[in-house]
Amino acid sequence: MIRLTVNGTSHDVEVPSYRTLLDCLRYDLGLTGSKEGCGVGVCGACTVLLDGKMISSCIALAAFADGREVTTIEGLAEDERLHPVQQAFIDFGGFQCGICTPGQVVAAKALLDTNPNPSEAEIREWMLGNLCRCTGYYKIVESIRAAAQARP
Amino acid sequence: MAHRIVGQPIGRLDGIEKVSGATRYSADVTLPGLVWGKVLRSPLPHARIIRIDTAMARALPGVLAVLTARDLPDVLVGRRMFDMPVLARDRVRFIGEKVAVAAALDPDIADEALALIDVEYEDLPAVVDAAAAIEDGAPLVHENPGAYEGAPPERPHPNVQSVLRFALGDVEAGFREADRIFEHTFRTQLAHHGYLEPHAGVVAIDHDGRVQVWASNKMPFRLKELLAHALQLPKGQIRVNLTPIGGDFGGKGSLMDLPLAYHLARVTGRPVKMVMSYAEELMAGNPRHPSIITVRTGVTNDGRIVARRVRALFNAGAYAAFKPAPSVNLGGAGMGAGVYRIPHLAIESLCVYTHSIPCGHARSPGEPQMVFAGESHMDMIAKELGLDPAEFRRRNLLADGDRLANGHHLEHGRAKETLEAALKASDWSREKPGPWIGRGVAMTHRHIGVGFTNAHVRLESKGTVALVIGLPDTGTGAHLVLRQIVAEVLDLSLDEVQVELATTDTFETDSGVGGSRVTHTGGRAAYHAAEKLKEQIRAEAEKVGTPGASFATIAQAAARDGRTLEASYFYDARAHAAVTSFTAQVAEVAVDPQTGQVTVRRFTTAHDVGTIINPLGHQGQIEGGLIQGLGFALSEELGTEDGRISTLSLGDFKLPTVADIPPLTTVLLEDLVGPGPFRAKAIGEGSISAVAPAIANAVADACGVRILDLPITAEKVYFALREKPA
Repeated sequence: MIRLTVNGTSHDVEVPSYRTLLDCLRYDLGLTGSKEGCGVGVCGACTVLLDGKMISSCIALAAFADGREVTTIEGLAEDERLHPVQQAFIDFGGFQCGICTPGQVVAAKALLDTNPNPSEAEIREWMLGNLCRCTGYYKIVESIRAAAQARP
Repeated sequence: MAHRIVGQPIGRLDGIEKVSGATRYSADVTLPGLVWGKVLRSPLPHARIIRIDTAMARALPGVLAVLTARDLPDVLVGRRMFDMPVLARDRVRFIGEKVAVAAALDPDIADEALALIDVEYEDLPAVVDAAAAIEDGAPLVHENPGAYEGAPPERPHPNVQSVLRFALGDVEAGFREADRIFEHTFRTQLAHHGYLEPHAGVVAIDHDGRVQVWASNKMPFRLKELLAHALQLPKGQIRVNLTPIGGDFGGKGSLMDLPLAYHLARVTGRPVKMVMSYAEELMAGNPRHPSIITVRTGVTNDGRIVARRVRALFNAGAYAAFKPAPSVNLGGAGMGAGVYRIPHLAIESLCVYTHSIPCGHARSPGEPQMVFAGESHMDMIAKELGLDPAEFRRRNLLADGDRLANGHHLEHGRAKETLEAALKASDWSREKPGPWIGRGVAMTHRHIGVGFTNAHVRLESKGTVALVIGLPDTGTGAHLVLRQIVAEVLDLSLDEVQVELATTDTFETDSGVGGSRVTHTGGRAAYHAAEKLKEQIRAEAEKVGTPGASFATIAQAAARDGRTLEASYFYDARAHAAVTSFTAQVAEVAVDPQTGQVTVRRFTTAHDVGTIINPLGHQGQIEGGLIQGLGFALSEELGTEDGRISTLSLGDFKLPTVADIPPLTTVLLEDLVGPGPFRAKAIGEGSISAVAPAIANAVADACGVRILDLPITAEKVYFALREKPA
């Protein structure tokens, strides 16, 4: 039995020791927003925040999150109001198929939490671990810049 | 013509779910009692299956079923040519072929079950190289491929899947007119599409025997037909539910594990989910064909092409089942002609069986391979002739009335304008900024996709319009484009048009997504359906007798008579038009003389386009395709060792990252002559194919090294630099 707080709600979950955090979120808690792409911690589609820090949940064990706070894509909007990063991804074409988008958006939020006004080089360096096959990245970078400017 | 909504750079109104994690892709579908299927794959490229022992796997707690070929009907599956078993029967033909499947309460138990299956194989001689496969005495991949349903008749060797030819004039006579003849051979690599959603599907059998399918498949109506064939069920018994797709790029049109999910659902009485791991995608997806392409061109002393012969050998792998074209070949082979007027042309494309991963369609199938060969060859000839590569192209560009490889006489061709625009925007004639820096140009053109699509529009009582469509969302923003079209025709705001997804019960047929067709076929279907509804609304308004009555008033008036105002349209375009879209691209690269590393310093892409319905989505297609082209040029390669894929993760199969993208200049030359709605053309496959040759030509310009095989890795350039005479 582990206890983890996901998007502000506490959950007690019984999981086998080998259960990944991603599978725990998706199948034990029904939070399917985080995606499995590569399954080996390379593509970033499974990115979530653990105590505010970005991790690949496909290569973290659920037990690793015991007693800690997890933020997933489902936890970003506040009272139905999209996070500025989410809104910018819509307005600036930051996604196409959307499969990598939860990971991109969570990673970008983590960036802006750390560095509210990143340069383009800083955006590229931070977002290196989030692959996207649809957009060619130009509009992702643009979206993140716009989100940084939109933040109060 | 000025439009209100068409032509506006509108963001994805359908995107709130996508940026919130609420979109349910196939892998996210869950149903009560759902169990998981997993596949055991062959570790050998060619072997006889002597025995499969599943007893231990079946005895594992949590396992509901384990199936082998013996438990399934003896049916071969495919898209056009039906040559692939659902599970290997007696023989395996590539490393990664499915030999058994297990269903279990969770995916981990299913994986554990697979480890308990004991398969005894007898190794057989294998051939994994395309050229070796068509030599006399090569091991045969199939005993009698000509007997398969859908097999093309021509088969010069038993290991040939299909032959596709394009011919103009008399090529031998053409070569006799030539002053000089040049011949070069190029190679391109095996490459996965790189979509980040592995194939996934859920199959459930209802109480009344109906088979419900949720799948990452972009052609739901064709999927229904193919599944009916594979499962030996009437078509009407299968319902495919349109599900968002996490990236396609040509790869999401095959059955993959769906027949197995059905059989597991049948045997267990539970809904079954099957999701491929990315390692399975890389070893057994349906990747882009690797190629060996020889181009031979005859030119006159003043630099005019008089004849060309192209021979392409595509390593198609162990099965033809993944190829959707009636030719069971790659239509892109026609691009061996490039964008040039070639009076005497002969192209021969062979898809060859080998004991390796079966290949399928990938974004502009066959074209990145052919355009790399053709456009590298053009620069090599220009160098020999002492001509600027742009000037050599200028002298041979297609113009209106010239025949394309497909026999059409080109109309509204803008090859020259497109080339000049790219040259100007890239500062082609300016001096290069330093040593070890080079520029390269490459061109291509692409037809506007064809197919057939149903659209249905319905006026709702509140005055809004529902657009019912059977095209799933693969990510391109097509649904938004279709909303824009309907809103434009009916003079509504975008919010007043809602997309309602059909199932395969709603319409009879639909060619689905692919081949850069959706803006054209879906757009025209939606456009004409909206026009019909507009006429009904006008007639109803007259009846009501209140000119200028609101749509809500009109809908309610009709409802009082028990009528709904609605209209359907089936748009059907099977033949390519004589209008095409030209692309010209210029790469500027720097080569590191110490390491051979190639850095793209800037990139220019120019496109000859029709009416742009949504500039944001249009540019997204250009950028996405271009960066896929960049990966194909520089980094992506499924490594193989004796038929075994050696790059089994996205850490080894290297897609470009955000750090790899060059500064980009896009030039759009609008010419409103497309066959799409509002004279739109197509853009989805326009930017990918010329990237690799533009970079290869730039590398040659930068350091004098000509790389003939993709990808252009640092080590290839490094060793070529070392071997280069000083």
